[in-house]
Amino acid sequence: MALARLLFVTGKGGTGKSTVAAALADALSHKRPTVLADLDPRMSAAAMLLGAPLAGGAGARISPVLEVVALTARAELEAFMRRIVPVAAISRRMLGSRTFGYVTAALPGLEAFLLLERLRIMAGDAALEDRQVVVDAPASGSALELLAVASAVKGIAPAGSLNRIAHSVESFVRDPARFGVILTVTPEELAIREALELAAALREHLGVATVAAIMNRMPAPLFTRADLDAIAPLRAHHHLAVRRELERSAAHRARREFARAGVPMIELAALYRPAMGRAEITALGGVLAAELPAR
Amino acid sequence: MTRLELSGYRLAICLGPGGVGKTTISAALAIGAAASGRAVDVMTVDPAPRLLDALGLEGVAAEPHEVNLDSVLRASDATRHGRLRALRLDPKATFDAIVRRHAASAAAADAILAGRIYRNLASALAGVADYMAMEKLLELAADPATGLVVLDTPPAAEALDFLDAPRRLVELLGSRAVSLLGARRGPRRVSMVDIAARAILGAFDRVTGLKLLADVQAFVGGFDGMYEGFAERATRASAMLRDGATGVIVVTTAEAGRIAQAREFIAALERAALHVRAVIVNRAMPELPDPAEIERARISAALKRKLRRNLEDHAALKARESISFDTLRSAMPAGAALMLAPELEHEPRTLPDLAQIAASIHSA
Repeated sequence: MALARLLFVTGKGGTGKSTVAAALADALSHKRPTVLADLDPRMSAAAMLLGAPLAGGAGARISPVLEVVALTARAELEAFMRRIVPVAAISRRMLGSRTFGYVTAALPGLEAFLLLERLRIMAGDAALEDRQVVVDAPASGSALELLAVASAVKGIAPAGSLNRIAHSVESFVRDPARFGVILTVTPEELAIREALELAAALREHLGVATVAAIMNRMPAPLFTRADLDAIAPLRAHHHLAVRRELERSAAHRARREFARAGVPMIELAALYRPAMGRAEITALGGVLAAELPAR
Repeated sequence: MTRLELSGYRLAICLGPGGVGKTTISAALAIGAAASGRAVDVMTVDPAPRLLDALGLEGVAAEPHEVNLDSVLRASDATRHGRLRALRLDPKATFDAIVRRHAASAAAADAILAGRIYRNLASALAGVADYMAMEKLLELAADPATGLVVLDTPPAAEALDFLDAPRRLVELLGSRAVSLLGARRGPRRVSMVDIAARAILGAFDRVTGLKLLADVQAFVGGFDGMYEGFAERATRASAMLRDGATGVIVVTTAEAGRIAQAREFIAALERAALHVRAVIVNRAMPELPDPAEIERARISAALKRKLRRNLEDHAALKARESISFDTLRSAMPAGAALMLAPELEHEPRTLPDLAQIAASIHSA
């Protein structure tokens, strides 16, 4: 019984992707050495939450068993060039050439594709050394585009090394032993609908499995229906209380809908704290580690 | 409570990180301006289905489409001349139309439209979509009957990704590298660097199987003769962005990550000499109710405890939010207003919802 070697955390913007990715990486690192790969290193929100801001795209070691690495498309392109053009002087020349710059700029899919290839290699290495990889991925729409890029590349490169890589990337994202998507969601209609749509699109168009949906910021139960009736005259307080209970019922409905889609839902309690720090991340991570379904 | 005043502006551009509600705010600002009597066009990018519905944009609406404002105008407003038209950017359709309109011949247009690069990539290219928004914008702004254009933008990692699109596309089409790749733009001296670049690209093609050289040549070659038109419109678009009647509105939410991103947006806009009119924090928490009301209420002690607990929980979140506001306040450019758009009780789905948001936007 094991989790997918690489967990790809995505969700609607603002649903706590980086928080969940950081918490998950923190918790899983107690079982085996873990790498948190940040695909948005400019912001490095996940690293910040773990207490280690990334400086200029470098990595950071949080603990002996937890490391954050920043992945950038540009660095992947450079690495790819070095691989296919082993003569350093020539690959440097290519990367510096304006012509080449324009061509790659005109093909942003190429950079995204190489990023995905990098994740495939990371997952492979992690399997050999029994490490776990957690990816703080882009928000839903961009994540779907990123994961769909392999088939687009197959279309534009019908032969050659990119085509071969496209095939291996495609089978990587379809392999539940190596790749699993974690969707973050908050108890709001819009976020729930977007997560359900993304899970369906991943399954139907790309053959990618969603491991779990994380219902983030779930309010603790507080008011009964009778309570709400009793406080109705206190309009503003009533409003605040109703809102809390509405969020809870949205989350309950979401649980049923995710179940219908074959996706288990894990609840993370809302933390009513003025700031999110390491202690909060550890608390959330503990819940995730205990409840995440193993294959 | 100070309102966001757009009366001196002819163009308002909403920029911001993904997922903050740029489309909602764009639509709300447009409705607010139309309700005050202006002739407004709002161009949305990838709106949520409910907003599409509210704006009557279901299906394809790549051309401006009149929105019926009856549900948001008071009877007294009916005599005014406010109108709202909405459209949804379709980059591929816009690009196709431009190619058809400006290509040297129908055959040249067909060659571009049928090319592998164009088919596979033109619609997927972020830069092209951004550029097409600019093209459409010029078209809308050229209509003398339109008083204000509100532009929603695609989510971008960086503020200038969008605003820089015209320059980037023109640079690509007009570059020496590209002329070297096959577009005939008059005699040029071909240097050793060019020859090396071309040889290297050829080698890259052989290894990757992309056959890019020929495709890029065909793609760019097809644009032969169209370059000047693109360059001219891009220059006009750039000038319009920096015009005094253009205001950039940065939209964000109070979440820490978004605030950090918004600060980067603001800094980048300032460096590019773009005029930030306002920063709007969307979905701001409403004011919390008075705790004294709990004590005065004639309810059980147990229920009072629950209400106090609920208020404390929300106060903690409010404290988190005000830390965000302070962070943002310290980054505000001169002359820009920090505004809040309080969260509605439910997700905005109708014109009156959007009008309510427009009316509730106030200075922080």
